Amino acid sequence: MHIDFHQRVFRDPWFITGLALALLFAIATILGPSLVPFDPWDMSFVPISQPSATHILGTNDGGQDIFSELLYAVRNTAAFGLVCGLIALLIGVIVGVTAGWMGGLVDMILMRIADILLAIPAIMILILTAALFRPSPWVLALILSGMMWPSISKAIRAQTLTMKESLHVRAAAQIGAGNGYIIRRHLMPELFPLYLIGFAAKARMAMFMEASLAFLGLFDPSRKSLGMMIAYAVKYYYMNIWWNWLMPPIVCLSLLIMAVTFLAISLEKVLDPRLKEALGS
Amino acid sequence: MQINMVPHPKRSTPGRLGTIITFSLAALAMIYLSYSLPRLLPGDFVTAMYSSSHVTLTAEQEAELRAYYTEEPGFGRYLFKLVRLDWGYSYAFLTPVSELFFGALPWTLLLLGTANVLSMFIGFVTGVEAAWRRDSRLEKGMVGGMTVLEGIPEISTGIILLVVFALKLQWFPAAGAETAYAEVSLLARLATISHHLALPLTTLILSYFPGNFLMTRNSMIMVIKAPFITTAKAKGLPPGRIRYAHAARNALLPLVTRFGLRFAFMITGALVVERIYSYPGLGTLLFNAIQARDLPVVQAVVLISSLIVLAIILGLEFIYRMIDPRIEHAH
Repeated sequence: MHIDFHQRVFRDPWFITGLALALLFAIATILGPSLVPFDPWDMSFVPISQPSATHILGTNDGGQDIFSELLYAVRNTAAFGLVCGLIALLIGVIVGVTAGWMGGLVDMILMRIADILLAIPAIMILILTAALFRPSPWVLALILSGMMWPSISKAIRAQTLTMKESLHVRAAAQIGAGNGYIIRRHLMPELFPLYLIGFAAKARMAMFMEASLAFLGLFDPSRKSLGMMIAYAVKYYYMNIWWNWLMPPIVCLSLLIMAVTFLAISLEKVLDPRLKEALGS
Repeated sequence: MQINMVPHPKRSTPGRLGTIITFSLAALAMIYLSYSLPRLLPGDFVTAMYSSSHVTLTAEQEAELRAYYTEEPGFGRYLFKLVRLDWGYSYAFLTPVSELFFGALPWTLLLLGTANVLSMFIGFVTGVEAAWRRDSRLEKGMVGGMTVLEGIPEISTGIILLVVFALKLQWFPAAGAETAYAEVSLLARLATISHHLALPLTTLILSYFPGNFLMTRNSMIMVIKAPFITTAKAKGLPPGRIRYAHAARNALLPLVTRFGLRFAFMITGALVVERIYSYPGLGTLLFNAIQARDLPVVQAVVLISSLIVLAIILGLEFIYRMIDPRIEHAH
């Protein structure tokens, strides 16, 4: 299943577009701090000035350079999404494979926990903790990942159940391979496509959540974020700031989420076993 | 690999009782969190929260609030007060929290309910039709357009619609849910309510329905390949009947199942959209309460709306069982 997938995935225009956008953001994220012309917290410039040669996008109400702010904001939003996606994936894979392989009571308990978590709206828990404790973004990322893993683990578990019955896994068990060996050498590698789908979907969700929480003002106000930039810019809607202050974070946020969405949809199309069969590609 | 032709996610579906127990546990977990989290705060919570807030407290109020947060009512009493709608007192609005909550709830229900029903319907019909015309230019264009729309978050759509239609063109009002203080007839009132609803509703539909479209199209494509569709065609049934009575019924299943999964996520978008258009629903109430550090309100809105979400998902779970009898027979 995982041998020919990168050939097919690279033929999908959505995947290429998503990947190109993601790479662009990756470069902006990694090189961001060295690319920015000014310190994004430096408030010494003329507030709300229009774009000029020194300030490519002008300055905001606090006299901060918008372009520098934007690069830091993209960095924070993207990092939040990637970290959440990774942690959720890690928990999801461990729980999913364990539940599927062990079966019985372990499976039942793990899946009931997953059901409970699936029903609880994650945003509400995040708002409650953010409003009460004002924690660091990483704590919120951890909480969010702790609520996002169930759908990954359910997909992994279902596929594990199918694979458990497959010939080569049964043969491996017949030869006397232990649980650990089969899980490490057979299940984990062969489930790889599902990791990608799960990771992309969760990273997308987390970026969206981060932007929304920041927009609602639940993060530390000194932390640059796309959502927060939009929230501040909208307050000055009556001034001529639409193109240089309001639009850049909106466009960046949309492109960022679009990149992950394209990757998620394309990967699902190519790698999801049920969909792949039907689309017959 | 063995593949089920009819899309039916292999899931560990608990029985009817199991589902109710799961949801009760989830509700209990939410209530317990909302009960215990404020009590975990170190130090003098009241001073810490209100010293930097917009609300100034009289000495009496402060003592009362301190008593409210330091008393140990026990989880049982907390539950009892919850059921009696005794959710505390807002210090920013100086009214009982339940009054604020039930004042805002109808607007959120109106906005979210209409958005969900409409986007479900539009997404479903367009998805079915697109799958039927697979590989045509129209279908390819639609899938492309929907994929792009799916990538645009509510914040962006909302702000762009607000700037263009409310601020630039001034076709629609930029805030509120109806014209305030206007003594008007019922019909005129309905007109202003829908006029105010138009932009937030469009924003939500634009962000909800592409997902419904893509999901319906994918599952419909899988259903169309099933042998019973060939049978239906061979029987000479009219295409409309095959499409809706035979195929689309089965394509509806994943839409309903995954609705519950996505609903908890969709709430986030609704909060943002209400905030953008200052729509007087729960999202705006919550936002104002966060700004003012009006903790009793934040706590109550978070808890009660989560419980409502749980109830809605539980209801859907049973609807799903009704449309898909295979789940009941699996036990």
